[in-house]
Amino acid sequence: MPKESHYCQRYSFRQMTMAFFNYSNAPFSIREDIKKEFSGFWRRLAQPGSWWSGADRVAIAKASRSALLCDFCTDRKLALSPYALTGKHTSDNSLKETAVDAVHRIVTDQTRITQAWVDSLPENGLSIEAYVELAGIVVCMFSIDEFHRALGLDLEDLPEPIGGNPSHYRPAQAEFGTGFVPMLPKEGLTGPEESLWPGGRSANVLRALSLVPDALKDWLALSSAQYLAVEEMGNMVRHEDRSINRLQMELIAARVSAINECFY
Amino acid sequence: MLRASSLTTNTNVDLQAVKGDKNAAAVGVEYGLELMQFAEAVANRDNVQLSKMRQTLLAKAGEKVLVDAAGVAANFQRMVRIADSMGIPVDDMEQELGQAVRAELDLTRFASAANTLEI
Repeated sequence: MPKESHYCQRYSFRQMTMAFFNYSNAPFSIREDIKKEFSGFWRRLAQPGSWWSGADRVAIAKASRSALLCDFCTDRKLALSPYALTGKHTSDNSLKETAVDAVHRIVTDQTRITQAWVDSLPENGLSIEAYVELAGIVVCMFSIDEFHRALGLDLEDLPEPIGGNPSHYRPAQAEFGTGFVPMLPKEGLTGPEESLWPGGRSANVLRALSLVPDALKDWLALSSAQYLAVEEMGNMVRHEDRSINRLQMELIAARVSAINECFY
Repeated sequence: MLRASSLTTNTNVDLQAVKGDKNAAAVGVEYGLELMQFAEAVANRDNVQLSKMRQTLLAKAGEKVLVDAAGVAANFQRMVRIADSMGIPVDDMEQELGQAVRAELDLTRFASAANTLEI
């Protein structure tokens, strides 16, 4: 993970002093590592990323919430073919329609995303790199919001965007060949990505968002608190900091994945 | 992973719990039924059922279990969307354990199986 001091240089005074996710009114005690990782993501969300500005990133986060209230998404979910239906999404922000559509699709109808649709994004104004970063924001946002909803807690207010330009950083080793988008190879990473794979080993789920390395780092950080750090996944019995054992965790994981019709 | 954990801990589990079988959920997993039903309510986005299952799990297993279960359920709401939005295939379709689990649960019925099977 990038060092905290790197981020601090770019925080506004308000953001530096604002406490996110303090859960002071929560009926349940929330683990400190969860608060820390959620707060860390919130701070990174507000900053310029690789392909989106801070304002855009917060707008994407906001759109991930409106997806759940979108009438067009409800109709599309029921449609036999999600690509045959035309309409307009419920949206209350400045994102272009292609981006809003991508956000809503990932939240509400992800199993029917296809290579052809992803391939069509650039001609509709959304680069593949921007799509990957957008997806990274959406999935992290969604998992934080879902945690709150699961516990009956209010959603956290979104952070205020921080100014600045995206870096347009694209890892040189990213290549097509797996999935819908270019990804980094499992072996032989060099340069800034040399230590990207946790424990030096990879899998397709780790490679998925690797076109935008910071997007991978974001979900790894959240996963280490919500589930387990990748380095600890070899322990199939019980993690000492968790109140549920691995069998219990995997039953939950498998049932959620099955309902979402996830083959992976 | 459920199968891998059961083999490591030498615990008999019934994989039909993954498909929502209530009797199966109670086999070998402490609070298995309550955890399965809580996970279902999260993934189905059924707020009435979720409220009910939250209270049930809280009463049976306590606050710490509830919070950790919410974390895992939310985590996999994310993971399935990473996999499907990027179209990643299963890493090793030849692995015997994975093959057996996919067959037992009939996972090829899912649309996202195409991301692996059409390669």
